[in-house]
Amino acid sequence: MKAVAPAAVVFVCAGLAPLVVHDAFLLDSLVLILIWGSAAAAWNVAGGYAGQISLGHSAFFGIGAYAAGLVVTRWELSPWLGLAVGALVAMAIGLVVGYLSNRLRGPYFVLATIAFSQVLLIVGSRWRGFTSGSEGIPVPFRPGFWTLGIADKRVWVWITLALAVLAYLLQLYLDRSRRGYQLVAVREDEDAALSLGVPARWLKVAAICASAALTAACGALWAQYIGFVDPFYVFSVDLSVKFALAAIIGGLGTALGPFLGAALITTVETYLRAQFGGIGTRLIGIYLIVYGCALIVMVRWVPHGLVGWIGERLRRRVTARAET
Amino acid sequence: MSLLSIAGVSKRFGGIVANQGISFDVAPGELVGIIGPNGAGKSTLFEIITGFYHPDEGVVSLDGARLTGLSPDAICRRGVARTFQKLRPFQGLTVLDNVMVGALTRTRDVRHARERARELVGKVGLAEKAEAHARTLSTGQRKRLELARALATEPRVLLLDEVTGGVDQRTIPELVQLVRDLHAGGLTVLVIEHNMRVITAVAQRIVALQLGEVIADGPPDQVTRDRRVVEAYLGLAYTQ
Amino acid sequence: MTVLPQLIVSTLLLGGIYALIAVGLTLIFGVMRVVNFAHGEFLMLGMYLALFAFARLHFDPYVTLVLSLPISFAVGWASYRGVMRPIVHASHNVQVFTTVGLSIALQNLALVLWTADARFLRTDYYAVVVRIGGAAFNVAQIVAFALAVALTAGLFAFMRWSYIGKVMRATAQDRDASALMGIDTDRVYAITWAVGIACVGAAGVLLAPIYPVYPTAGLQFVLIAYVAVVLGGLGDMAGALIAALAVAAVEVAGSYTIGTAWKEVLYLLLFIGILVVRPAGLFGQRGAEALGT
Repeated sequence: MKAVAPAAVVFVCAGLAPLVVHDAFLLDSLVLILIWGSAAAAWNVAGGYAGQISLGHSAFFGIGAYAAGLVVTRWELSPWLGLAVGALVAMAIGLVVGYLSNRLRGPYFVLATIAFSQVLLIVGSRWRGFTSGSEGIPVPFRPGFWTLGIADKRVWVWITLALAVLAYLLQLYLDRSRRGYQLVAVREDEDAALSLGVPARWLKVAAICASAALTAACGALWAQYIGFVDPFYVFSVDLSVKFALAAIIGGLGTALGPFLGAALITTVETYLRAQFGGIGTRLIGIYLIVYGCALIVMVRWVPHGLVGWIGERLRRRVTARAET
Repeated sequence: MSLLSIAGVSKRFGGIVANQGISFDVAPGELVGIIGPNGAGKSTLFEIITGFYHPDEGVVSLDGARLTGLSPDAICRRGVARTFQKLRPFQGLTVLDNVMVGALTRTRDVRHARERARELVGKVGLAEKAEAHARTLSTGQRKRLELARALATEPRVLLLDEVTGGVDQRTIPELVQLVRDLHAGGLTVLVIEHNMRVITAVAQRIVALQLGEVIADGPPDQVTRDRRVVEAYLGLAYTQ
Repeated sequence: MTVLPQLIVSTLLLGGIYALIAVGLTLIFGVMRVVNFAHGEFLMLGMYLALFAFARLHFDPYVTLVLSLPISFAVGWASYRGVMRPIVHASHNVQVFTTVGLSIALQNLALVLWTADARFLRTDYYAVVVRIGGAAFNVAQIVAFALAVALTAGLFAFMRWSYIGKVMRATAQDRDASALMGIDTDRVYAITWAVGIACVGAAGVLLAPIYPVYPTAGLQFVLIAYVAVVLGGLGDMAGALIAALAVAAVEVAGSYTIGTAWKEVLYLLLFIGILVVRPAGLFGQRGAEALGT
């Protein structure tokens, strides 16, 4: 699935939607889909393309959210600066994490990443002097583009769309470039890739760094959009699983997949919220049960996700037509 | 004049000696066979030459430059390519993409790498399978794929671990011919092989290992008559 | 040094229960090569079992313990058949996501059924305190420790002497060879999984009278079990036992020196450090996993 046309259609539609749709609820959903889609795409760079399955990616998301929140509240600077700081910090930490975990494979890597995000959760929720501890950070609304105090959801659609396109282009690069081919080879069999001259260790670290920076950017924008940073949410394992799940549902290692997966997840989530609005925490439980079951079913029966499944259907139809 | 030089290589795993003071040189354009019973240390030696294991003692060098201490990918870029005894194709990729990974080590241009890969896929006789996923191939086809992939890295020395192992009788002559052709084209080849008929027919020189040590080194007819070799290896193989 | 005896006994009491959680986890890994990310949820289910048996049927938790073994075994067996069986031979990633999915589903099933509220199981002997060497200990803790040790010993004996235990160990050594020898590996995996779940379920019952019960209660304990299991070498039961004590010691010492709030960071960093430096554990052969054995 390396055709660009479907993705171009999806992104152009998303870009034009605010001109047609004025319903705040729908626009809000679109913004969230684009943020979660970008985060899932960022996860996909490490998990799908490089085969570095992380369940601690919320750490990078949280770093971005905190960077944006703290830069605004503590130093009263622009959240755009916070976004840049968050991305750089996440990249630096990604470098360390990637380097240290380089030899870890399969479940060991997963365990290490979970532990890492738990460390940040504890630091974020207990370091009262710096992060305000478990109360989290309310991000003040200061009107203006530079301060990202934007009430108009249409503008948010375009901002997050830019992020989404950036994430997509990074994946497209991996689909088509030399480094992308090499990275996929590392995912398939690291030793074989090494034997063919692929600098596997370096590529894995680079993939984790890029993925971390992009995830942090998502976190920074999300914090500004929602207006609040809760350590127990932004550093949670559930959030990491959400990124992974969106990518898996959409199609691991495909450029468009994470966005499709995020669209599906966010829609289901919003639908359930609208449907069972009154039940409070139990509602979260219901869609998380759906998440869990979807995860089990997808990896077993639809390993290539929606993109793989649709691609397979199309291919069959084409060959069937060719035969008649 | 040697291209690949192995000097005093030793490797132990816990108390087990896998390689003990192995030394021999491979001249440019030579085709050297390595034989020995199971556990003689043949594969360990390959892992050491290609940088997957680090020797406890000794040095491997290519054209006078030290390889020992370099990472496997760096050693490949220096010009040593290998195949694996337990085949390791990139299962989820097509045959062509598999070979492209090798070709991309020598070129930055993806299109050029694809052309080069197509050429090599044809050369090893897998042209019809170019777009098939590697996991759908038979063992013989996988051997060819690994060969093409290794060749795509434009090696100066090619290390083949078990060319004919696990392959049906009809395919063996074709694979042997492929190795012969490569050698005739000027490539230096080091090959581990269990099939004595194959190795004596194809190799110019044979190095025999037993319990991690070199017990014979010379032309095939001489090595196969060596008393220690016959005892250690051939006796077993022929009486079975 | 008056605190030392207290610290030592605390370590032992904690370590005993961690060991019971950890041996089940490491047993499953050793035989099936699956890291069970849903292990904590089975612990949580065990805790709820004790809670409801006490509240509704007035069963003492130690009576429930006896019942919990066949119940958790059956739950384990069913979850193997329904969820694990198709993916025993699948790639690491598929296994990881399957057990993570199971973990999320179970955790939230509990949330929906029983709400997020922490509940307490209070027996009338809860407040009874025993004095050992000048230090005071909760009687529930001591009983839990004794029973955990007995169950762990029972598991070791089972693995060592029973026919099924021997078959399980053979499968752990080499699954292909075992299949060739005519061992029904599917059955072995089902039993392994169920035995592992029975252990952790029993641990849950033992913990219920001491700790609050809520849907994510399993997480903190199982995180410690992971640390112990990795420290002891994934799949190494004796290693896990020793490591469980070591982790308990770190935790007790950590609580004492840097306070309970930050002690988790201590063992998480320890965990990451061990993963990075010695992924096969302190006693395991390094690189065994990387070599695909």
